[in-house]
Amino acid sequence: MKTLRAIIADDEDLARRILREYLTGESDIEIVEECPNGFEAVKAVNELKPDVLFLDVQMPKLDGFEVLELIESSVAVVFVTAFDQYAMKAFDAAAVDYLLKPFTAERFRASLDRVRARFNSAAPPVPLPRDLKLASRAPGEYLERLVVKDGPRVHVIAVAKLDYAEAQDDYVALRSEGKTWLKQQTISSLESALDPRRFLRVHRSFLINMERIARVEPNTKDTWLAILRDGTKIPMSRAGYSRFRELAGGE
Amino acid sequence: MHPLFSHWRRFLLYLAGWVEFGILLAVIAPASGRVTRLEAASVIVPTMLVLGFVCLVPWYLCRSIPLRAVAWKSLVQHHLPGTVVATALVMFVGRLIAASLTSIWPGLDNLFSKATPPLTIFVALTYMLSTALHYAFLEIESSRRAESLAREAQLKALKAQINPHFLFNSLNSISALTSIDAARAREMCIGLADFLRASLRLGERDTVPFSEELALTNMYLSVEQARFGDRLRLVRDIDPACNPCEVPALLIQPLVENAVKHGIAMMAEGGEISISGHRDHDWLRFSVSNPFDPDAPVQARNGIGLRNVRARLEARYGSAAKMQIDATERNYQVTLTFPAKTS
Repeated sequence: MKTLRAIIADDEDLARRILREYLTGESDIEIVEECPNGFEAVKAVNELKPDVLFLDVQMPKLDGFEVLELIESSVAVVFVTAFDQYAMKAFDAAAVDYLLKPFTAERFRASLDRVRARFNSAAPPVPLPRDLKLASRAPGEYLERLVVKDGPRVHVIAVAKLDYAEAQDDYVALRSEGKTWLKQQTISSLESALDPRRFLRVHRSFLINMERIARVEPNTKDTWLAILRDGTKIPMSRAGYSRFRELAGGE
Repeated sequence: MHPLFSHWRRFLLYLAGWVEFGILLAVIAPASGRVTRLEAASVIVPTMLVLGFVCLVPWYLCRSIPLRAVAWKSLVQHHLPGTVVATALVMFVGRLIAASLTSIWPGLDNLFSKATPPLTIFVALTYMLSTALHYAFLEIESSRRAESLAREAQLKALKAQINPHFLFNSLNSISALTSIDAARAREMCIGLADFLRASLRLGERDTVPFSEELALTNMYLSVEQARFGDRLRLVRDIDPACNPCEVPALLIQPLVENAVKHGIAMMAEGGEISISGHRDHDWLRFSVSNPFDPDAPVQARNGIGLRNVRARLEARYGSAAKMQIDATERNYQVTLTFPAKTS
């Protein structure tokens, strides 16, 4: 049987130790790395490409869902968390299992069986967990920050500092503080994760931070231009312009 | 709006009271003059009804000039003109009524003129009495509100106390320790039990000595230290003179809990929480300071903690207490200043 390579990500030493202890009896599972925070988890998973990730939700630097967003390879995720009211939805969506702390050795073994089943049988491949975070949001709750990969490092953009986003094939280009960051995500999924009162889809390819708009000028017969505070010109479609009128007028 | 207006039955009852009062006066008044009871009643009863309406005005005045917030002198300065205007208004209406009834009972206006001085004094005194009663009413209202606020805050504090994250993570730490270090596992288990028991006990009380509240935070911190290990470092600077002071139960514990939850738990390298308590004659100053990571993941902040502390301070000490928040880029400090009272 194939040996499964595992990474443990949890900020509490004792929480990592109990996982390690439970895993010592499992000859087919090898711990390749232990990470005490979200940054290190992203780095380790992307470098070591493990088969299994035991992931805590509340951690310094990046939370568990943000870690998932930045993982580039397919990995079987087992959430190990104390309490998370919204996480259930996400678990249903893509996690192999979730363990509520504290858990027994039997419960943990059952979880490992589910992980093994993923790799042994003809079960569908483990999904890429990238869009999990969207599923985990509560209705009416929007992202306050965006995480992007910057080479091996992780960059965090506060939503208030995002000027606009532009769709570029499979990516969105995020413009913030004079720099551009690429993130693998569709502009529609980004739009749905941001507060619609603050971010406006003015064009098929553009999503703007309302606070950055200095003025709007007519361009051609059916299009307009949003002029941002820094002078950047963003095209607005007819539908985008009417959405803008609606949002600006409602204030 | 005056609370009487929201219940028309009560309002009618109130007016009926004034009518009855007017009739009573009309029965007594003729003893001293040549006026008949019917004549007196026809003037006094409607006048009393007007007075009844006018006596509701102090409710608005009293609310805009709170008893405790202003000096004695300014109280007089505000209410004296009110009394003069109200009295003049009532007497004017009374005179109008008397004048219009003179066609039925000649001489009624003369009689009214004679009765004016005692009636004026009576109206003015009644208006002032109404002002005093309104103050009493508002005072009772506000103390009742403070009480219910304190109770609500206490319930919330209690709920926040047994924060599920804290509880389940602590239990998980204990679970991990059982095979690593059984003695420490037992110690932590007992520490957690002590903390839960103490917070339940303190939560039942209104105020507790500062020393007990501090002991509770120490129990809490000992559990968190077992969980976070070296990441949680503590500096305590507590003036023993604080110990006997009575403080609202579970007031300072949430501050320490916030410092761990939003500060230390979100820092990979951990940090130092400093807790200080000082007593300066009649004042107690307590502060908790912690570093935080400005780039930490945004947590669903319930915000109950600090708002709750502020509301309880206000409910108990009014404007005498102060909660100050000093946040720099990487450090957060909450300072409470309130009257030091020993039981």
